[in-house]
Amino acid sequence: MSSFKGKVAVVGIGEVPTGVFKDRPCLQSALEVSKQAIEDAGIKKNEIDVIMVTGSFHSRQFSTNMLLSKMVEELGLQGIVKSNMQVCSGGSTSSSWLMTACGLITAGLSKCVLCVHSDALGSAPFQETLEQFAAAGISEEWETPYGFFMGALGSLVTTRYMYETGATPEQLASVVISMRKWAALNPNAMLRRQLTIEEVLGSKMVVTPCTTRMGNLFADGAAAFIVTSTQRAKDVTATPVYPIGFGSVVHHYCISQVFDITKLGYEKAAKEAFDMAGIKAKDVDIAEIYDSYPIIPLIALEGMGFCKRGEAGAFVYEGNTWPGGKLPMTTNGGMLAQGHSGAGGGVAVLVEAFRQLMGKAGERQVKDARIAVETSTGGAYMDSHVTVLGREIP
Amino acid sequence: MKEYKRPLPITTFWSQPFWEGCKRHELLIQQCKICNAKLFYPKLFCPSCLSSELGWIKSGGKGKVYSYTTVYGYQPEAFTDDIPYILAVIRLEEGVQMMSRIVDCKPEDVKCDMNVVVVFKDVTDEFTLPMFKPLLSVFKNS
Repeated sequence: MSSFKGKVAVVGIGEVPTGVFKDRPCLQSALEVSKQAIEDAGIKKNEIDVIMVTGSFHSRQFSTNMLLSKMVEELGLQGIVKSNMQVCSGGSTSSSWLMTACGLITAGLSKCVLCVHSDALGSAPFQETLEQFAAAGISEEWETPYGFFMGALGSLVTTRYMYETGATPEQLASVVISMRKWAALNPNAMLRRQLTIEEVLGSKMVVTPCTTRMGNLFADGAAAFIVTSTQRAKDVTATPVYPIGFGSVVHHYCISQVFDITKLGYEKAAKEAFDMAGIKAKDVDIAEIYDSYPIIPLIALEGMGFCKRGEAGAFVYEGNTWPGGKLPMTTNGGMLAQGHSGAGGGVAVLVEAFRQLMGKAGERQVKDARIAVETSTGGAYMDSHVTVLGREIP
Repeated sequence: MKEYKRPLPITTFWSQPFWEGCKRHELLIQQCKICNAKLFYPKLFCPSCLSSELGWIKSGGKGKVYSYTTVYGYQPEAFTDDIPYILAVIRLEEGVQMMSRIVDCKPEDVKCDMNVVVVFKDVTDEFTLPMFKPLLSVFKNS
């Protein structure tokens, strides 16, 4: 079942700053991060035989160009790439990409996969983007007519979670504090100013119980990574990262159909992934958890067994996930502080996990990090993915 | 009828009986004739057993608020005039869940697991949306 273990390695990463860059064409970002990843990997660009792109939500035209092989021409890979394909599961694209790439490499169907994302949600007209996300993972027949939209999704989950566990607004706000502390150390992050809990809770109440600062901001962003065989990795890099466990489950399309929105699928996904990797929660050095709203890291921390049910809020509030804390969490600042670049929000979190294990995280480098978990979720929290990554093959 | 600017349900042919029911102020849910599974939202065939033999039953219209949120901002433009409005996931007594609105209730009074009952809002000549109000207000107002 886990025959990819020891056979597949991530060898290079690329990323441009996340934010609002109206003069930075989306294609330029896609090209820059691809070039960075190729150079970082130390491979020759002509080794890439599969390109995986994903959905770019700011422009259907750009998205279509990408899935119809724009990158192949720009990178001069005509006649070399076997397949240029779109793999997209929204926010969980990161995990879906890595699963797919591992399969292709392990099966011998590809020698080297380039995964690349670029989107420009920060430069796109705000209301237009908001309207688009009002219909993403939200039923146009059963939810939209009531005025439901993406920004209300996290709030529905938060209300029920607080009701069942007694988590406090201060604890939820502390997730934002944690993200901002990491973002302060991340030159690619959008929101680097430090906030107090009072500032988070005192910002405008928009979708109860979430205030403006408990939400994410649309951003332009791009990132890429390169996956190859362990054999090839040994020739080109001293810092390969090995995928060693995958676990995931899709639990719904629309949130109103979920019977326990306070847990989602993290427990099941983590069990699968940890068993596959042969690790326990206590072996994990870094938890690169997909956020989007403060509630999701709390649910993921509990589902994966880092905290008991209802205790994740206090765990974050006490500073355990901050720089220097017991369990460094979402060390790029996540979507709450690095910014929400569509499917790229999750990609940035995964790339950060690679970066940390490669020892390339600069000021925010977690010392001696050997094992990282990455989580992601797409749509209306339709799925829960847990991926275990290691600096060594266990 | 006053012009209605909010998005209306984009329906399928197999959900028509539900919307027809709403116009008559009846809340209908599907039930599989083979495995008896109760289904909402309406399906083309039963997701449990894949049977296409589905019938309709009338819901009592009572349920509980599973979760909710009051919207004060960042909402789609069409709903600007509704602010603040209370979105809620309702768990019906029949065991199915639906997204809806809580009406006739102040935002500070809505609670998880609060008992609610359906009210029908005739929003256009074509569409009636089921919404919910606190169950107690039935006695207060009637």
